[in-house]
Amino acid sequence: MTDVRIPAEIIDEGEGVISVWLFRDGETVAAGDVLAEVMNEKAVAELVAPASGQLTILVSAEVPVKKDQLVARIT
Amino acid sequence: MNVSASTSRVADAKHTESTAQGVDAVPRRRLTIAKAISEALTQEMDRDPRVLVMGEDIGRLGGVFGTTQGLLARFGPERVRDTPISETAFIGAAVGLAAAGMRPVVELMFVDFFGVCMDAIYNLAAKQSYFSGGRVACPMVLMTSVGGGYGDAGQHSQCLYASFAHLPGLKVVIPSNSHDAKGLMIAAIRDPNPVVFMYHKALQGMGWLGTVQRSIVPVSDSDYVVPIGKATTVREGRDVTVVSWGLGVHQAVECADILMKEGIDVEVLDLRTLAPLDRDAILQSVQKTGRIVVVDDDYRSCGLAAEIIASVCESGRVALRAPPCRVTFPDIPVPFAPQMERPLLPSAVKLAEAVRAQFVSQP
Repeated sequence: MTDVRIPAEIIDEGEGVISVWLFRDGETVAAGDVLAEVMNEKAVAELVAPASGQLTILVSAEVPVKKDQLVARIT
Repeated sequence: MNVSASTSRVADAKHTESTAQGVDAVPRRRLTIAKAISEALTQEMDRDPRVLVMGEDIGRLGGVFGTTQGLLARFGPERVRDTPISETAFIGAAVGLAAAGMRPVVELMFVDFFGVCMDAIYNLAAKQSYFSGGRVACPMVLMTSVGGGYGDAGQHSQCLYASFAHLPGLKVVIPSNSHDAKGLMIAAIRDPNPVVFMYHKALQGMGWLGTVQRSIVPVSDSDYVVPIGKATTVREGRDVTVVSWGLGVHQAVECADILMKEGIDVEVLDLRTLAPLDRDAILQSVQKTGRIVVVDDDYRSCGLAAEIIASVCESGRVALRAPPCRVTFPDIPVPFAPQMERPLLPSAVKLAEAVRAQFVSQP
């Protein structure tokens, strides 16, 4: 099982949001897939899958997120 | 009625280059419509130095609806121009640039704002080629957001498909997914005549507007074209044709899923282009099913839905088994209050009710 967290390169200080998940909960993803777009201070960044497997989304789009926050798991 | 579950396909299956089940060795790239439009613009600007982009907040911000992400950094302020809030000026300028041999793409942030710049669009751009005997082309793209559903009231929520599709000399396209968005934008830029490229806010992938997940599909990084004027069948069915475009495609697919459980087999057409209308594709489908329902989130009267139904009726090629039906927004301004706006918009549930009524025997 691999945790998917918000990297500091995307959100260092304060809060941002996952503007959109590009994969659905329960879908199979591959390492390197762009899983989501994260918006911070009007800039958009890409959240990349660190591993392959089944995606479990823990934080839905449009909910505030912070650095290092656990937002999904890949099993 | 015919009952068939086996012909059903998901909306995006048609467009996926790599929908293999299980873990793929190669990453599969999915884009939002916003990103797909940005990528189409980037690739065309790389390919053709005559392509440039102008509009409000399309530079530093990358577009209020994300259509120009990364362009300013890559191409600089000469080719990616943030304009003052004067559609009259910059859309008029685009017509002149196009006549002089450039290929401008201009963004009208909300289609609702067309009033102040319409002369440049329908009297100048649309008629340029015709008036000059084909000697002066007008290769410009007007991209603009359409649609409501998020409480932005009567001047930021309209669709106005018919207002543009009505006018000779304008082509009008609207994608329902990111694959088509990229291919239609490339086709629009390469077209020698003005193309109105509409994108629906509810499909844009910008988060704050909500996004229909089915609009996010795999997108090739090649510079492919989706031909203007060609509809596509996103779901085959035997009993009834639902004609749709933009957001309506997703409501139609959801409606088809609901009705499949009730034994009604719905065929869903995605027009992709509103002008010129692919009447052959519509007729072909309705000849098979004998029933037609059109979903149109524009105002009801004198709308595209009416044009589609009239085209079927006057063709003389179809014996309809039920009166044709349209599911539309009513003839009133879009309300601000969500509890007033929501019930007025088309939905999968409303569409399913309309389709069911096609199977109630007529007196």
